[in-house]
Amino acid sequence: MNIKKVFMYCILFISLLSLLGCAKESKQEHNEDGQLIVRLGKQTATNPKLPEGDTFEDNAYTRLAEEVLDIELVNEFEANGEDYDRQVALAISSGELPDIMQVSQEEFEELYENDLIADLTDVFEEHASDYIRALYDSYEINPLEDTTFDGRIYGLPAAVNVTPPHMIWIRQDWIEELQLDFDADGDKLIKLDELESLALTFIEEDPGNTGNPVGIPLAHWLNEPGYGGAFTMTTIGSVFGSFPRNWIEDADGHITNGSLTPETKEALALIKDWFDRGILDPQFGTRSWDDIMALAVNGQTGIVTGAWHMPDWGLSNVKEMHPGVVFEAYTLVDDQNKVNIASQNPGGSIAVVRKDFSNPEVLMKLINLFYDTLKNEPNLEKVYPDIYQYQVLDVDGAARPLNMEILGATSELDHYAEIREAINGEIEVSDIPDARNQSIAISIMEYRDNPENASTAAWALYHSRMKGLELGQYLIDHDHFEWVNPVFFGSTPAIEQYYGNLLSMEEEEFIKIVTGVESIDYFDTFVEMWHNQGGAEILAEIEAEVAE
Amino acid sequence: MQQRKRTASKRITNINLTYHFMILPGIIFLLIFNYAPMFGLIMAFQDYVPAKGVFSSDFVGFQHFSYMFSLPSIGRVFTNTIVIAGGKIIFNTLLAIVFAILLNEVRVRWLKKSVQTIVYLPNFLSWVVLASVVVNIFSLDGSVNQILESFGIGPFNFLGSNQLFRPLIIGTDVWKSFGFNSIVYLAAITSIDPGLHEAASIDGANWWRRVWHVTLPGMLPIILLLAILNLPNILNGGFDQIYNLYSPVVYQSGDIIDTYVYRVGLMGRDYSFGTAVGLFKSIIGLVLILSANQAAKKYTERQLF
Repeated sequence: MNIKKVFMYCILFISLLSLLGCAKESKQEHNEDGQLIVRLGKQTATNPKLPEGDTFEDNAYTRLAEEVLDIELVNEFEANGEDYDRQVALAISSGELPDIMQVSQEEFEELYENDLIADLTDVFEEHASDYIRALYDSYEINPLEDTTFDGRIYGLPAAVNVTPPHMIWIRQDWIEELQLDFDADGDKLIKLDELESLALTFIEEDPGNTGNPVGIPLAHWLNEPGYGGAFTMTTIGSVFGSFPRNWIEDADGHITNGSLTPETKEALALIKDWFDRGILDPQFGTRSWDDIMALAVNGQTGIVTGAWHMPDWGLSNVKEMHPGVVFEAYTLVDDQNKVNIASQNPGGSIAVVRKDFSNPEVLMKLINLFYDTLKNEPNLEKVYPDIYQYQVLDVDGAARPLNMEILGATSELDHYAEIREAINGEIEVSDIPDARNQSIAISIMEYRDNPENASTAAWALYHSRMKGLELGQYLIDHDHFEWVNPVFFGSTPAIEQYYGNLLSMEEEEFIKIVTGVESIDYFDTFVEMWHNQGGAEILAEIEAEVAE
Repeated sequence: MQQRKRTASKRITNINLTYHFMILPGIIFLLIFNYAPMFGLIMAFQDYVPAKGVFSSDFVGFQHFSYMFSLPSIGRVFTNTIVIAGGKIIFNTLLAIVFAILLNEVRVRWLKKSVQTIVYLPNFLSWVVLASVVVNIFSLDGSVNQILESFGIGPFNFLGSNQLFRPLIIGTDVWKSFGFNSIVYLAAITSIDPGLHEAASIDGANWWRRVWHVTLPGMLPIILLLAILNLPNILNGGFDQIYNLYSPVVYQSGDIIDTYVYRVGLMGRDYSFGTAVGLFKSIIGLVLILSANQAAKKYTERQLF
């Protein structure tokens, strides 16, 4: 046998293999038609209500954007919730970012420090429409300030003043079925003991006929800053004046984190008591976000916490399964009938552009198109019939290239006021300036006139506006809010270094307290640990920054 | 000695060369995927910033290691890893041996073959799939709890209890892999000289005595060798299994080094710290391999390297 020959073949074969392995897949910048290819990191939604055949990558919104901007949109990855965060983390660690994606404030700062994202200042100055600028300017603190370093803008933030408060959505059809005397005065403001006894009744009677009813499910992270978190305990804690994960002043005027206050300890003691009495989900902690949503969809639970817009994207799944379902929005009040609430930063997710992307203005043009042109087109039905059809079907906003909202400071309630006027017959639907709100008003009337046969879309819009936003408006009108203003929103070096670990520690220790692994007095140990593991440094840095 | 060396090299130049080339792809694979990444260990001593890369990130010495030892959760992570991995090794070995001995006694060929196939099967399923099955069976309203409740016991929150989570992890892992592990032991049993068995029966030994005095001693070298080979695995708790089954409630008893590094290093994007923990794990692993090698030399007169 010719060993030399075999050897040569081997070497050839292997070098070929390794060449194949090394060859970096060079990504094309333009498609065959010469259009620019734009790669997106796509945040999706569980129930987008897209028409048959349409996808997150190819739907009326993306087709419109491709046509108007003469580009091709490609989704580099598509994911939802925690999975999306995971994809972003992996993209950052591999350094292979999509051209445009949405990130959290924390990820944004990391991307900036790593010099991975483009400076958008010139793009904004040159291309941002006056309307978009005015939206950002409408806030007391411009959301762009959070994404500006040394006078340069590195990301375009979502801007939404989510209408407070944090709410509790309850299956009203069950209350009626069981003929319960719940919230007798009908003001939607309830006390803790009312909620407790309702949960116990739901567990006992099992109105969903599932065989294993669950009282109140909560997500294992328990808290989020602000009042938009689904399945968090924000509204429950607020009764005690607990505002976890906000930087607030304590009774002595020192800056502290809301997670460390005695009020939070009281709130946790209550949740623990609920766990012991079976009011809280006995599998608390092991359920993922999707699992909890499934509890509501299966009819195992009829009590979930969340913001006013929950029916639009979450509770609508319940309606799909149980056509007769009716929810009602409630909120918890303290002994003085007040809703305690910590004011929130209007920002949210931030759209960023990869540093070396050749056409960063695409992002600005997308924003102009979706948050200005489409919003302000008075004759959407004629000019953009496909988009109009989508709005009638109430297709989830996640189908748009960017899954975020840019609204003015008071937009939510302003829009709601217009819709309500139209529904009450005070103005014509065509007098509503925004096409989207026109179609919302029409859907709401559809549900109001014929709730049995209304579509899920109409059901969701009616619930979120006429129940969710209505409750927010009611609380403002009747002066029920007791505001607490966090003293700090941004980030410091110590926050970057330690806060992530502190949050996971908080999550873990709170779970231990609730599930009874540790006693409630362990909370004091947690506070001590929090300070020792970098918390003290964070507080000192915030004190210094606030003092400036 | 001199003589041996010459014949060995002579052999290589001749026929065996082809066979030596056959391991070349494996060696290249090893170099690319196991040795090249070791370079990244530098990150453990740096304040690694992806933008700066490994070459220009600032060196911080042992800062990440001291931070690691200052965290209360780190001891727990190492304990969990050793308890879970140790439990898996012990129970997997025991059950595989017992199963092999019992299966060897089955004389009906088709029964033996089908039982063997059935117990192998789970080994080829991914934990991603099996985890959802396990969650369904062991959740509060799952079938296990329903059966227990009909006997008036429970219910137990297997996936959310720090007492039950480790047994669950070890138990399901043993269920998944004991069948496959028993292959080697079955082979060891068949290699025992049947004459010994016959002699023992003639001397009046019952089945139990024969197992104890003939089968087990015959298997002992293999058992020892496999146990020693398994020792370095004592720090591998099984990422894919635990990652798919755990939740923050059972971090206390179920968080192992690999899941911890994944959460902190990759998801928390604290690359340097994650690397430091991973490196620490590797060092302990190295020490264990070296001692396993010594032990192997001493007890089985064989060396791994």
